[in-house]
This record gives sequence, C-alpha cells and structure tokens, in this order.
Amino acid sequence: MRLGIVRGHVTLNLAVTAFKGKRLVMVEPVTMENLSAGNGLGGGKALVAVDELGAGVGQLVAFTEGREAANPFWPDSAPVDAYCALIVDSVNVHS
Amino acid sequence: MFLARISGTVVAAIKHPTLDGCRLVIAQRLEADGSAAVEPIVVLDWLGSANGSTVLVSTDGDIARVKLGNTTPARLVVVGIVDSAQGQAAAGRT
Repeated sequence: MRLGIVRGHVTLNLAVTAFKGKRLVMVEPVTMENLSAGNGLGGGKALVAVDELGAGVGQLVAFTEGREAANPFWPDSAPVDAYCALIVDSVNVHS
Repeated sequence: MFLARISGTVVAAIKHPTLDGCRLVIAQRLEADGSAAVEPIVVLDWLGSANGSTVLVSTDGDIARVKLGNTTPARLVVVGIVDSAQGQAAAGRT
C-alpha cells in the first residue's frame, strides 16, 4: 500500500456495470519528506481509487494497488486496480 | 520481493474489516546503492519488525489472503527480517 491524500471525488456518467454505485476518490501520493513534515502536501502522481470507507478531502489514506485491489469485490470481478484500504488516524515516523 | 527499511507505524480506526488487529508499518524501499525510495509504503507485519530494521517485503498478496480471507485488499507483507546480507542495500547504509 502507498499513502496518499484525498484531493477530490470522481463521478462517472457512463461506466462498466462493475463500477455502479462505487465511490471514486482522487488521491495524491505522499513522499516521505512531506509525510514526516506533516505539511499536507503530496508530491506523487495523482490516481483514482475506489473508496468504500468514506474518506473526505484532505484525509490521508493508504491504498492498495494491483490485482489485490479487486479482492474486496470477490467473488465478483471488478476492473479495479487501486482501493482505499484504510483512513490514517496518525503516523509515527522516525526517519 | 525487495528490501525495505522500517521507518514508522500507522494507526487507523477506519479500515477494511479484514485488516482489523493487523500491525501496519511504514517502510521505504531500498535501492541497490542503499538509498531509500522517495515514497513510503505501508506494509503488513506479523513478525514484529523493529523501527530502523531492514526487512524483506513480498508484493504477493497470497499470504495475506490465506490469513485474512479472500476479500482482503492487503498486498505488501513483511516476510523476513534481514539479519545480514552482502551489499549495501541489505545493511541499509546510505
């Protein structure tokens, strides 16, 4: 999983049926430098992830990428390659 | 698999139900020259790796799926704590 800050939400009009009712968030990955500083900045390349936890804008989330991102929809198949697995309360970083 | 250095822990109340009770650590992937990656990663840790230690991380979600169920989104898992290895990256030197 990588860490990212939620920057916004994505709403689809036409979509494949697997995406019906799914909430999509725009996530900006966070670099170690920004995470340690806690300055609310990201620094990575933004991506879209499925979110079932209700993450709000500005919140730090950890998202899974790859084939495992579709696991929560098992046994259905979904073309999901990024999934918000948790909303971060706090991080203890000792660098 | 790759080597990573543990640099912290994550606390999260709201998470996928399969991750309840799991220890999640923040790690930085190590390059061959021993330098750490810019972006941190969150890794599942059942071995109890200490802060600053070098670990072996697997990107295969199979272990997590066996332990946490088919619906778990977990993928990165600490599969070993590095004792010693040849080369700079294993030692975590920069």
